[in-house]
Amino acid sequence: MSKTKILAILIAISVLVSGANLAAQSVYKIGYLPSTLGQAATKAWGVGIDNALKAAGNIPLQSVDAMMKAETQVSMMDDFINQGFDFIILQPIDAAALTASVKKAESKGIPVITLNTDTLAPHFACVSMDDYGAGYKVGEAMAKQIGGKGNVAIIQSPPGAIAGVDREKGFRAAIAKIPAIKIVGAQNAEWNKDKALALMNAFLQANKQLDGVFAVNDNMAEGAAIAAEAAGRLKDVKIWGFNGQLSTLLQIEQGKVAGTAYTNAYEQGATAARMALDVLRSGTKTFAKTQVITVPPFMATIENVGQIPANIRW
Amino acid sequence: MPIATLRRMILIGLLLAIGAVLSFLNPSFLKLDNLMTLLQEASQTGIVAIGFTLVLITAGIDMSIGAVIAVTAMVCVNFLSYTPIPAFLFIPLSLLTGCLVGLFNGYFITHFKLPEFIVTLASRGILAGIALIIAVKDSDGFVSNVYIQDPVYLSFGGTVGPVYIVTIVFIVLAFLTQFFLKRTRAGTNIYATGANPAAARLSGINTDRSIYGVYMFSGFCASLAAIFISARMMTAMPEFGLGSEMDVIASVVIGGTPFTGGVGDIWGTVIGTLFLALIKNGILKLGISPYVQPIAIGGIIVVVVMFDVWYKAFAEGIAKRSAYRRKQSGEAAAAVAAEADAVAGGDGKGERS
Repeated sequence: MSKTKILAILIAISVLVSGANLAAQSVYKIGYLPSTLGQAATKAWGVGIDNALKAAGNIPLQSVDAMMKAETQVSMMDDFINQGFDFIILQPIDAAALTASVKKAESKGIPVITLNTDTLAPHFACVSMDDYGAGYKVGEAMAKQIGGKGNVAIIQSPPGAIAGVDREKGFRAAIAKIPAIKIVGAQNAEWNKDKALALMNAFLQANKQLDGVFAVNDNMAEGAAIAAEAAGRLKDVKIWGFNGQLSTLLQIEQGKVAGTAYTNAYEQGATAARMALDVLRSGTKTFAKTQVITVPPFMATIENVGQIPANIRW
Repeated sequence: MPIATLRRMILIGLLLAIGAVLSFLNPSFLKLDNLMTLLQEASQTGIVAIGFTLVLITAGIDMSIGAVIAVTAMVCVNFLSYTPIPAFLFIPLSLLTGCLVGLFNGYFITHFKLPEFIVTLASRGILAGIALIIAVKDSDGFVSNVYIQDPVYLSFGGTVGPVYIVTIVFIVLAFLTQFFLKRTRAGTNIYATGANPAAARLSGINTDRSIYGVYMFSGFCASLAAIFISARMMTAMPEFGLGSEMDVIASVVIGGTPFTGGVGDIWGTVIGTLFLALIKNGILKLGISPYVQPIAIGGIIVVVVMFDVWYKAFAEGIAKRSAYRRKQSGEAAAAVAAEADAVAGGDGKGERS
């Protein structure tokens, strides 16, 4: 390639990018930093945020994928701060690991909203699903479905993942109140459908009687349902998920998954975006205490899943 | 021009060119904050890469570095959570973690003659498990990531003026290691061990000692990096560092240390680390999807190694041709001499007969 061609391409790229920069400079620069972009919940939050920002006057949103690694997310936070973003919507991979980053952003006058996982540093707001409370409700609902007695197992999230741990703690607290229900196993499937499938096979083999399984997210519940169906024991095991993504709601309707703690993730994202715009317009930069907004969960089962209209399924 | 100098010039040139393009495309690139963060990230990888370079010079490989980071971080939070020992005392102790792992690796590699890759891959697995086992747990037995508040410990994540401490340590460590490699007998032994272990042993070099040394140093560097990473993030997680091996290997290879051993130095690694950090920062700055990042890094490695192989063949070709030419001219000279000799001999013979 000749030198002039290379130069021409470089100039073309720079014009494009600087054009985008100019457009971004005219309004707010808002960044969305989820743990990963590859999950239904994080996608739905993104859509919710984006729609709310578009409705408020075509404000662009920049999203980056931290690929479930806290170190990556911390460097992305640093980058957003250095680039002078006006507002950051963050779903922390870990509460403790992102605390320093949130502190840094707030100290530079960039308000932060956290989704689902609060950090230890005070910041503008946390819009959360109430993991513990919803886990507790899942425990109660499952206990009712299995008649207040039997063996249950838990499919866990990776160690240290606060959201999953809180869901599990809530579930365990509810089960602990019913002495006739025994927790026969708890293993980590790393939020992952295929790992949950393998794990469920092991649970089914180890326990001749298994009445309920709580997977701390929907993907893992779907994996567990596949294993139970293949073993011909789907009827005997009540499998619960968490989040309420579209595919799982469908499986509840088909009777494969017993239930899930549904949260309107679109609305959760939109709430965060609206709060962001409010605080940007008001110009407030320091916050003594984190405002916690809890989006109430809805225990979706085969009886009531029809109440969730199609436009808020994600 | 020797290959090392040429490729270094090319890399530095590319480094500056990418930097120039980035600052042109996104003005926030040249901000002091951004440059310092870039250096901070480069230094975190770079400290580990320095140790790894030495291992690679002995023609070995250390896959356990990521897990050493995880275990060291866990050792530190255990000290912080359960003992009153102050940070300036337990930090040197936790640096021993890496040295111990290196000792373990070195023992199995030298004593049982096991392949380096297998030994260190096994210790990576073992350490990743240990990290989870010794992780600090809450009252229900769940791993809880401790929020570090010890001011002495956190100062490791701080700055002197605008420069992060980790960057200063990285530069000092690079100078010291380069001096060690090039100016001490032990350093030369490391090159000899990597270039030809049999010849090194025959010439009286204790190659086992070199191997122990490089794995312990590699572990030490990983442990050192763990302190800075956890201080920066104000917490330690049992999965810290796992997966960062690839970045370290990429930095060292881009820096020009080949897997074949006997060659390489620290400045190459420093440039390689900066190069990698710049690429990563650039991808973020231009708003390109981070999925492109591993593709870009993989592509760069292939291009760099292709250049190395091509240039080596090219240089060998030149050497061969010039040797051939020397041989040719040598033969010609010999022929002339022989002819002269023959003539002289003939004369002699003629005289005698």
